[in-house]
Amino acid sequence: MSVKLPEPSAGECFHCLQPLPADGGYQVTLQQRDYPVCCYGCQAVAQTIAEQGLLHFYQFRDRSNPLNVPLVPEQLQRFEAYDDARLQQQFTRDSTAPGGRETSLSVEGMTCSACAWLIEKHLAPLAGIDKVMVNASSERVTVSWQPEQTKLSTILQHIAELGYRALPFQSASQEQDFKKRRRYFVTRLGVAGLATMQVMMIAVGLYFGMVSDLDDALRQFLWWISLLFATPVLLYSAQPFYLSALRSIQAQRPNMDVPVSLALLSTYLASAYATIINQGEVYFESVCMFTFFLLLGRYLELLARQRAISAAANLIKLLPAVAQRKNSSNQLENVAVADLRANDIVVVAAGSTIPADGKLLHQAAYVNEALMTGESHAVLKQPGEMVLAGSVNQQQIMQLQVTATHQDTVLASIVALQDIALSRKPKWVENAERLAQSFVKQVLIMALVTFLVWTWIEPSEAFWVTIAVLVATCPCALALAAPTAVTGAIHKLNKQGVIVRNADVLTKMASIKTIFVDKTGTLTNGQFELLNHYQHQPSLSLDTLLALTQALEQYSEHPLAQPLKQLTSTQIDIDSVHVVGGCGVSGRWQQQQLRLGSLAWIREWHPNFKPHGASATIFLVSETEVLLELQVGDQLRHGVAEAISTLQSYAIEIVMLTGDRAELAAPIADQLGIKQVYAQCLPADKLARLAERQLQHPVMMIGDGINDGPVLAQADISVSFAQASDLARSAADAVLLRNQFSALIPFYQTALRSQRIMRQNVRWALVYNIAILPVAMLGLITPYIAALGMSASSLLVLLNSLRLYR
Amino acid sequence: MTLDAAAALLMGLAGAGHCLMMCGGLAGALGQQAKWPQLLLYNSGRILSYTIAGAIIGGAVTSVASSSFAGLIYLRLLAALLLLMLGLYYGGWWLALRHIEALGKPFWRLLQPLAQRTRHATNFTTVFAAGVLWGWLPCGLVYSALSWAALSGSAAAGGLYMALFGLGTLPAMLAFGWFSKTLQSFLRSQGFRQTMGLLLISYALWTAVIALRQLIAG
Repeated sequence: MSVKLPEPSAGECFHCLQPLPADGGYQVTLQQRDYPVCCYGCQAVAQTIAEQGLLHFYQFRDRSNPLNVPLVPEQLQRFEAYDDARLQQQFTRDSTAPGGRETSLSVEGMTCSACAWLIEKHLAPLAGIDKVMVNASSERVTVSWQPEQTKLSTILQHIAELGYRALPFQSASQEQDFKKRRRYFVTRLGVAGLATMQVMMIAVGLYFGMVSDLDDALRQFLWWISLLFATPVLLYSAQPFYLSALRSIQAQRPNMDVPVSLALLSTYLASAYATIINQGEVYFESVCMFTFFLLLGRYLELLARQRAISAAANLIKLLPAVAQRKNSSNQLENVAVADLRANDIVVVAAGSTIPADGKLLHQAAYVNEALMTGESHAVLKQPGEMVLAGSVNQQQIMQLQVTATHQDTVLASIVALQDIALSRKPKWVENAERLAQSFVKQVLIMALVTFLVWTWIEPSEAFWVTIAVLVATCPCALALAAPTAVTGAIHKLNKQGVIVRNADVLTKMASIKTIFVDKTGTLTNGQFELLNHYQHQPSLSLDTLLALTQALEQYSEHPLAQPLKQLTSTQIDIDSVHVVGGCGVSGRWQQQQLRLGSLAWIREWHPNFKPHGASATIFLVSETEVLLELQVGDQLRHGVAEAISTLQSYAIEIVMLTGDRAELAAPIADQLGIKQVYAQCLPADKLARLAERQLQHPVMMIGDGINDGPVLAQADISVSFAQASDLARSAADAVLLRNQFSALIPFYQTALRSQRIMRQNVRWALVYNIAILPVAMLGLITPYIAALGMSASSLLVLLNSLRLYR
Repeated sequence: MTLDAAAALLMGLAGAGHCLMMCGGLAGALGQQAKWPQLLLYNSGRILSYTIAGAIIGGAVTSVASSSFAGLIYLRLLAALLLLMLGLYYGGWWLALRHIEALGKPFWRLLQPLAQRTRHATNFTTVFAAGVLWGWLPCGLVYSALSWAALSGSAAAGGLYMALFGLGTLPAMLAFGWFSKTLQSFLRSQGFRQTMGLLLISYALWTAVIALRQLIAG
């Protein structure tokens, strides 16, 4: 019987698929051909297989590497359904890579950052994967991939191979997942809590001799009762720790649950053994208490995360499922929002939520954009303006032309931004995690050393001293220190209307000494209007002067002329009008030559003229006298002045960068108390100024994001405004949702505060862990005290982080 | 003594990854539609071989080695060393142990012709015989367990250790098909094998410390 054997892959044992040893290993002859094997064992097994006529084993067995276990076919088919392009429309979006798609998958079964690492490591080598970001806290994976090279089902399958279930993210199902997870913890906590109370009561009795004349039979009876209560705690309540420990071992990155599981299981087993043979020591109360407090910590962490995440997840949930679309014969039909396409005409009833981004048609309407900006009052939208999915139509029926649906809407991009922020780990968090991880290894090594040394000194004590070391030095507090603070800060910032795209800004904030601000659109609204005027010549009425200005400006295309085209209803005709580029407009009225324009230009006629107001920009003059001066400018944004002075009070230097002329920039700078102004900057100049300052210290740049792209990208922290459609492509680290400059203040404060809390946490965790280690190794604490100390230090860290939520 | 027996069981259990890699799935291929009792019989045969080997080697070494107190302790230290090597082998850090497999090769050559006769095994006797033969396949894991049994101090203890070791390998070999995919991928992962390796190394160190302590105290 000849069997077609698979080709052996280079450098791999044909039988066990392990790498061949460095010296090349051995050979086995199967069907007149040599195959490489790694050892005599494999050689003999392979030969035996051949002799017993079982070679088809090689043909049909799973040849993939050990991390790669095939799925059952039905599961595969279910995943393939997600390759349908129409279905994918609903949950994927274009990624930044050309031709790529991006989606968020929610993953079940993730317990720790080791899981995240495992998934990342497993997906990244797949062909066609552009980027994988795994967020262990929100249990989501963001993948961008090239659809021509790999299929979504392949990605899902790869995740499933690791034992996780990944499905396209749907907020409704996430809500349920949350509930499920909460229940998961609550029931376990309940069991642990009840048992702990019972066991503690017994333990107190046993320890402190409340029943001093305890006879042996009664003591044994109480031990058995304790065993009875501790068993469900160990088998049921402590499950999350075992699972997490196993996964981290699989990922070759042991986490703190490894020493935890080790300590729990061995304490329990030793105590149970002592109970059965009726001699020795029992520490059931330590098992119960340790489990209870650890679970409590995990539960609080989960709640904190959920609070941070659900804020964003709730957004998408509010989109309606059905929309009213006008069909070709102008009739309304109900269609699923999922079926809406760009350029569809959609009708939205008063009081309803707008289903997709679109351009408002026909008449103006009031909409409430609270969902995105948090601003609760209605905003007036003119025909032709964008209205956003998720905002509520306030007053009358509106019609809109769809421009973006599903994942492409601004709302979705806000949610995506936040997802990204939560999944990108700031360096601090990474450092703390790495520290915790190396700590775990050291704890394990220290425990072993303790055990060996104590075995030498006093074997009967060795076991319990080792347990105390394992429990007391478990770096749980260290592992919690940074992530909880970051999650808290992101949540807090969201509530303040700041979306942080990159959590690194939290750590950079403290080093910022200079903030560069763009003028137009950042400090000001970016809309020119007539702010002030001064009449120099009382002989003509103001109305006449305004009418003259208005008549002349009709011919100008200059942006400053725009707000001067409709000043009064009086109409005056002017002859022989000339537009002089860069200067102004000239014309003739009642035999007089008039000029309307810049100061430099009118000084040709009136060399000694001094404007009444320093910030006047436009002057109306005849050849003999100055008639009127006008101040056209930008309105300052609300709260800018206070915000600037507050920032300056933090010893931060504010520098203005603007493309405008110095005369226009200076008055605004004066008004706001900004000392340094760089006017007439081209984008390249702005970049140079900023880079120059960066040589001294990190800088922050805040701009409206439209033309400040390069400068924003150069800055250490870049902040932009949520100018609707620009949001998705803006390169900013943080986005101020409410379009208020003043949001910078809470942003600054929260970032500093989170940093402070993170530092406190890490410092405390380190001090505790390092201090307790020698004490525990000397055998000075019992497992009972160790469990208390460890739990208290973790809870302290957690509660400290929770302060950020307030 | 109980702790030594536990070590043998642990070696078997810890070897799950190794067993899956070497022989996993083979049990299924063996009879294609191999039934439960057949699989059990087959594995019993294998474990019986281990037990016999353990008893032989345990008895032989004990009768040869002086039964003085110090002699036993040196044997124990040697066992600890072998356990340490096995731990290193599991973790993939030092593969010297595989050379021990060469020791068993000539012996296997003697048995090999017999194995051929058991092909197309259907009735219970031949299935059992096939299992018995399979037990003598050269395998680094088995040999390290045997070395442990060799130092057990008696034929009975040697047999017991090897039986326990065989019992430890049973889950991986027998219940392979029942394991969930996740568990399989876990058992075969490098991380698991390294952990098991570290566990064995710790055990070896501990044994050594106890032995040294006794040596000095005695």
